[in-house]
Amino acid sequence: MSVTLLSVATAISQAILGAIGSVLPQPASGAVTNVNTVDGLAALIFAAILLLASMLNTIVLIWWERKLLGRFMDRRGAMHVGYAGLLQNFADGIKLFRKDTVKPREADTLGFWSGPTAYMVTSLIIFAILPVSTGWNSGSLPLSLLLALAVFSFAPLFIFVSAWSSNNKYSLIGGMRSAAQMIAYEVPILLAVVAVVLVSGSFDLQTIVLEQTNYWFWVPLFLALVVFVAGMLAEMERIPFDLPEAEAELVEGWNTEYGGMMFAFFMLTDYLRALLGSFLIVLLFLGGWTMPGWVPAAATSFPLAGIFWFMLKVYIVFTVFVWIRASLPRVRTDQLLRVGWNRMVPLALLSVVLAALLVTVKCLPVLGCIPTLGG
Amino acid sequence: MAAEGVRKEPKSADNPILWVARPMATAARQFGKSLIRPSTIVYPFERLEDPQFREEVAVAAGKPIGVGAVWDNYRGVHALNVATCISCNLCAFSCPDLCIDMVTVPGGDPKHPKKCPEIDYGKCSYCGFCSDACPEGCLTMTTRYELSTAKRSEMVYSPAKLYEVFQRKLPMNPVRIELPENEDAILLDPPLCIGCNACSRDCPTQCITMIDIPKVGPKPGEKPAKRIWKEPVINDSDCVRCGTCISVCPKECLFWGSRT
Amino acid sequence: MSEMWINMGPQHPMTHGLWNLRVHVDGEMVLDVDPEMGYLHRGIEKISEDRHYNEVVTLMDRCCYVAGLAWEHLYILSAEQALGIRPPERAEWIRVMSEEFQRLGSHLMWYAAFVQDIGLMAPFLYGMRDRDLVLDLFQSYTGARMTYEYMRVGGVRNDLPNGFTDQSRKVCDWLIDRFEEYDRLCLASAIFHKRCDGLGKMSRADCVAYGVTGPMLRSAGSKRDLRKDRPYSAYDRVEFDVATADGADVTARYLVRMEEMRQSVRIIRQALDWLDKNPGPVMAARVPRWLGAPYAPIGNEGYLLKRNYPKGLGLSAIEEPHGEAQAYIVNDGGEHPYRVKFRSPVFANISAAKKYLVGYRIADIPPIMGSVDVCVGECDR
Repeated sequence: MSVTLLSVATAISQAILGAIGSVLPQPASGAVTNVNTVDGLAALIFAAILLLASMLNTIVLIWWERKLLGRFMDRRGAMHVGYAGLLQNFADGIKLFRKDTVKPREADTLGFWSGPTAYMVTSLIIFAILPVSTGWNSGSLPLSLLLALAVFSFAPLFIFVSAWSSNNKYSLIGGMRSAAQMIAYEVPILLAVVAVVLVSGSFDLQTIVLEQTNYWFWVPLFLALVVFVAGMLAEMERIPFDLPEAEAELVEGWNTEYGGMMFAFFMLTDYLRALLGSFLIVLLFLGGWTMPGWVPAAATSFPLAGIFWFMLKVYIVFTVFVWIRASLPRVRTDQLLRVGWNRMVPLALLSVVLAALLVTVKCLPVLGCIPTLGG
Repeated sequence: MAAEGVRKEPKSADNPILWVARPMATAARQFGKSLIRPSTIVYPFERLEDPQFREEVAVAAGKPIGVGAVWDNYRGVHALNVATCISCNLCAFSCPDLCIDMVTVPGGDPKHPKKCPEIDYGKCSYCGFCSDACPEGCLTMTTRYELSTAKRSEMVYSPAKLYEVFQRKLPMNPVRIELPENEDAILLDPPLCIGCNACSRDCPTQCITMIDIPKVGPKPGEKPAKRIWKEPVINDSDCVRCGTCISVCPKECLFWGSRT
Repeated sequence: MSEMWINMGPQHPMTHGLWNLRVHVDGEMVLDVDPEMGYLHRGIEKISEDRHYNEVVTLMDRCCYVAGLAWEHLYILSAEQALGIRPPERAEWIRVMSEEFQRLGSHLMWYAAFVQDIGLMAPFLYGMRDRDLVLDLFQSYTGARMTYEYMRVGGVRNDLPNGFTDQSRKVCDWLIDRFEEYDRLCLASAIFHKRCDGLGKMSRADCVAYGVTGPMLRSAGSKRDLRKDRPYSAYDRVEFDVATADGADVTARYLVRMEEMRQSVRIIRQALDWLDKNPGPVMAARVPRWLGAPYAPIGNEGYLLKRNYPKGLGLSAIEEPHGEAQAYIVNDGGEHPYRVKFRSPVFANISAAKKYLVGYRIADIPPIMGSVDVCVGECDR
């Protein structure tokens, strides 16, 4: 039996409750070791593991970006706190945690406080949906891809809420830009996903990954990958599409007025979303945790091999994002929107047509006929 | 010579395929280079003034970082050789920031207390005018640049502290403007002089001697003067032109001028 | 979103200093701008009236913190004219070399700030890194990295250290290679052209009308360069081309500045060759002592002067990295200048903001202002 996240959580829960139950007198002990209690605690532990893992990964991701960007810029990056500066982000987090968040007097209280929190929470929810290996998610949801993208597209709302309620002109402009940009790039992203869904025949991410056992989807769906990556760059608000928080003209864009922990929420969530974007790209186009056949079996069969390969791919994808960030300037809002509507949407439509064609003829000139196409 | 003529058009503008690839390739090349050794100098652990380190960096990075930092002329914290200081005040006079105070140090006689500069590094702008002005070369600037303290009062370096810096034998800034034969000297307006001896008493180089002069005698009917009239004579070759004599003269009879 | 005024500044990443750009926007479009300067006014001109001629040099470094030696050169040229002192030839060549190195330093700083404005992250550090090499050179012969206090009336403070010219040549070679790299990161980038082409148009006639000088004027097709038109120091003895471009936009200014850096390297190489061959004094022989070292103040009346020193006026103009700077000094025979007046190119360049900012977008303001190359220290003085 393969180890899954749920089985790990249940085992931990059983161990804890068993230990508690053995010291309690009989009626109470029975209630504690009850199946429902064990499952309830298992769900909590499950969520805690997910939260911890995603946060840790995000923080490591920030460290990785700092180190990479450092080398791109001919400097060293964080290097003193912990080994090679690994703990630098924890130190920064503690510093931000200890700082006060000042709310502007004229700011809208509810929006100001709830915006960042909701932004972060909606991004965290997706981690429960995305599988990182067989069985390592909250269970098999038939529409997990749709759910993930739906929750993913909540963000502009909360960004705009926090931007508007900050009562700052820079924040407002940044929020407007952010909303316009994210909504504009939802369309090509979804269309690119449609191509993937057409080829794999499923909305379930587990199925989509398993469909890629023979070949990864970026080979037949290269156009969709390009559109998806460009759209994800815009959704993640990274250079060259980081104009909502263009620090040159808008100071920090929609999070100008935030400080302390609220600012940390925004920053953390930006990287959470970068991680999510990389997750999605790996899941949809780069074969998830599957590896091609020429990789020796020993390399794919050790414990947690799936998670290892999956995270390796995620970090490689993120490295490419950092590379882009280091070497390209930022575009302008009108140019971004024009590219989004005039180039990306037609390209995405074209990729959908190509995918449909692929499903119909069930053949690729290069790869030969693939029996599993079309599901 | 690499730069000849004016180039107006970018070279690669004619090849749009390279338009995103070229900057990314350039950044990647830089990434590869800095994997060997980034240009950063990890300051407290690596120091530019360390010549061995400079060589190391230059060789490792393959670029001229750090090598240009010759520290001979560096203007950092002052070193004061208290023994040779003649208390001429020139450093304090020349300071544009007024950060130098002349404070009494032990070693002088009670009539002529020895005064040496005390420098407030909270105000100092490290312009080097004081060490340029110093006629004896006892106030020089060193390569020391680390000054941070927890208290503002610790930024004020007493002569003793400056002497400590001197004793560390740091590389010192040897530069002084060597002025050639200069035309300006301190002159006397004899009719105003009352022979009070103040200039001669306070001259840091003892280059003023008071000589007896024949004074015009009393008018008929007056009593002859009891005192002997004296007048300062300044030895130009010893004079450091500090102007102390001018500032102590009660009658403003000494002034700057040209002997020629 | 209705029309509104935004204050960009005094603390804003775009300003590169301390000034305020009030922008009237309609959505993303800029309808009107209103630059406000003066936040960094320190009264340098007035303080200069209470300083010895040489002591004013310390203020010149604070005038423009990225082009200190150029401003020292400007002031010293004017002061020497007012006092009737001629520096030795070697000092003039050192000054030319210093000014060109300063131009390199200033333009590299501009490059770093400019690419940061359009969102290029890594080249920002490249510009700063390469500027550091120039600062290393400055440190080796002036003794400081930012506030040089190197030039004196009648010459320069000290001669070049041993091995300086070899080291400078190494740095020049290194920089020439880096300029190619800069071009690959900017000019070869499609997004760079998207961001910069056709922005901040300022025609030649407008430049002349508003007194806009320097790279901005030359980017509009003019060949005006004081180093060529009115050679000072040793500029009549060096060979170089005036960098010009035709676009009158941000890209054209980029091209002009990059070309100027290449020409600066060319001038520096000639100066280094000359300096290698011709050792000599760096200070004029007949400089009065009181210019070299100030002397004691007297009583309450300040300085007692019984000297008949020649009176005079000094007016100098140099091609500073940002444009044409001028200094005017009135010498009434005292030990302080009677009046000192500076003309800052940046002040004129910022003042014309309405001409080149209106009609573009908010996102265009940083690249345009970046291409103007603001240095508020000299603007407000």
